[in-house]
Amino acid sequence: MGGRGVRAIGTFAWSVVQDALHRKVFYAILAFTVVLILFTPLIPSADVGVQIDLMREAALGLTSIMAFLLAVILGATIIPGELGRRTLYNTLSKSVRRWQYYLGKYAGIVLVVATSLVLTFVVLILFVLIRFGVFNPGLAKALFAILLEAAILVSVAMLASVYFSPLIGILLTGLFYVACHVKGDFLYRGMTGAGQNPVVKAISGLFYYLLPNLERFNINETIAHGERVFEVGAVELLLLFAIAATFSAIFLYIGGYLFNRRDL
Amino acid sequence: METVLSIEDLHKEYSGGWRKPPRTALAGLNLVVPRGKTIGLLGPNGAGKTTTLKCIMGLIRPQAGKIDLFGGEVTGAGVRKSIGFLPEQPYFDLYLTPRKLLAYYGRLSGMHEADIAARTAFLLNLVGMGEEADLSMDKYSKGMLQRIGLAQALISQPEFLVLDEPSSGLDPLGKLQVRDLLLGLKGGGTTILLSSHQLSEIEEICDGVAIIHKGANIASGGLDELLRPREEYEISLEKSPPPAAVELPASASWADPAQTRLLVNKGELNEALRSLLERGALVAEVRQRRMTLEEYFVEQVGSEGWEVGE
Ligand SMILES: Nc1ncnc2c1ncn2[C@@H]1O[C@H](COP(=O)(O)OP(=O)(O)OP(=O)(O)O)[C@@H](O)[C@H]1O
Ligand SMILES: [Mg+2]
Repeated sequence: MGGRGVRAIGTFAWSVVQDALHRKVFYAILAFTVVLILFTPLIPSADVGVQIDLMREAALGLTSIMAFLLAVILGATIIPGELGRRTLYNTLSKSVRRWQYYLGKYAGIVLVVATSLVLTFVVLILFVLIRFGVFNPGLAKALFAILLEAAILVSVAMLASVYFSPLIGILLTGLFYVACHVKGDFLYRGMTGAGQNPVVKAISGLFYYLLPNLERFNINETIAHGERVFEVGAVELLLLFAIAATFSAIFLYIGGYLFNRRDL
Repeated sequence: METVLSIEDLHKEYSGGWRKPPRTALAGLNLVVPRGKTIGLLGPNGAGKTTTLKCIMGLIRPQAGKIDLFGGEVTGAGVRKSIGFLPEQPYFDLYLTPRKLLAYYGRLSGMHEADIAARTAFLLNLVGMGEEADLSMDKYSKGMLQRIGLAQALISQPEFLVLDEPSSGLDPLGKLQVRDLLLGLKGGGTTILLSSHQLSEIEEICDGVAIIHKGANIASGGLDELLRPREEYEISLEKSPPPAAVELPASASWADPAQTRLLVNKGELNEALRSLLERGALVAEVRQRRMTLEEYFVEQVGSEGWEVGE
């Protein structure tokens, strides 16, 4: 690839960050999340001991929603937006390759999500410390898993956005998200269940093996309960990273291939 | 003669979308741009000019045909380093300032950081936007964006410029500035291919034109060949004769109401001059008339009727 390619990808990634900083929706999502996190202690609970767990779980849930929203909205809008505004023509007539653009935009979106997660991490950790007197850096593990799942969602949303409008792209990615979260349960039963229609069995089976199990990335509950039951170790996190990298790479490859071929 | 661009038998159909027939934009287009020349691409709306230029830049893929750039069939990123492109109605992320925008394009073109600042300042002055260099572009007018579009096309000092309607949206002074700018670049050896509806502009800067209609060539060649001198002369007068009194030959007609320019066929030129002089007119100039590009264009395209596309 060489230095030129890396520089082009870096330039595109940075342009996403700049772009996000000029979008109201970015600040709105961020501010909304922080405000809601600050309100979580209002959740009624019987005894003080579980209050911190409840609060952590709610806060991590909110953080997931924020990260996924950012990932999907940015992923599904950037390419159609640039096509619609015709800024893509100036950009892609320079001596850059389309896959560099595609990869750069992906990296930029992941960077924006990561930055937002770092910000919420600071809010969370200060909040837990001030409110409950507990210093809890372990929360970072949950946020890391959220980032990995968001990275997969970005690659899917971008793939959809090569041909579809932002709205349809967001819907398709939402569908993907739901399918990947229920697959362990729902699709598995569809595939193996006795007395099932063979067509349903085949389709469930196909999707079961094709889709990543995103439920794996949801370690919010474990972390919220202070890892008293399971501890999330480095091996588990590495495994999650490998899964996320593999699926992102596959979706990026398909998306980049289609983007390279399409008329602009 | 070395060619910078040669296009052979280019075909392009746009898919019409879900269950609609495809639209033919190019149907066997040919084009040659020799090194150092400025070529104008003309044609009515929907003729396929923008489609041609997008094919050259690799933004869309033709279904058939050959595009050779700089003598090779490479159309990848490498060859684009030597090409500057101004799209039709250029648009940018308006929260940026032109200075930041040009730096971004400079980076994408692989320029050194150290050169970018100087080149940017130079180009912004060149297109008359030096004072607005740090004003965010959401405050810009259409013509100002067009100028920034020209500046970004020039960022990497390209040897070949591809411009889609460079003077569209510009005020009269802006049009003059663009013309001078292009003449300057041409003088420096840059090869230029431009599409335009400004026939007078094309006539002033282009060495040759290609007129296309419905995606195919209908005429092309050097301006000198195409606009062959006609068998008609124009007599300009310093002092007009008293109007009613002059008896003029049959082919003569006044070109202006003030009766200072008379058009006449070659065969009757001397007769017309004689009667003008006898009546006390003062002749300032006699010259053979060359067809204007506009007249030529109307003759070529007008005969095909005015319908646009299908
Ligand atoms: N994206 C597209 N999808 C479908 N048809 C298209 C598309 N772009 C252009 N066309 C069609 O292709 C033909 C040529 O269009 P093109 O934009 O190349 O014309 P043009 O010569 O640049 O016209 P103008 O002078 O108006 O700019 C037209 O019939 C147009 O309708
Ligand atoms: Mg056009």
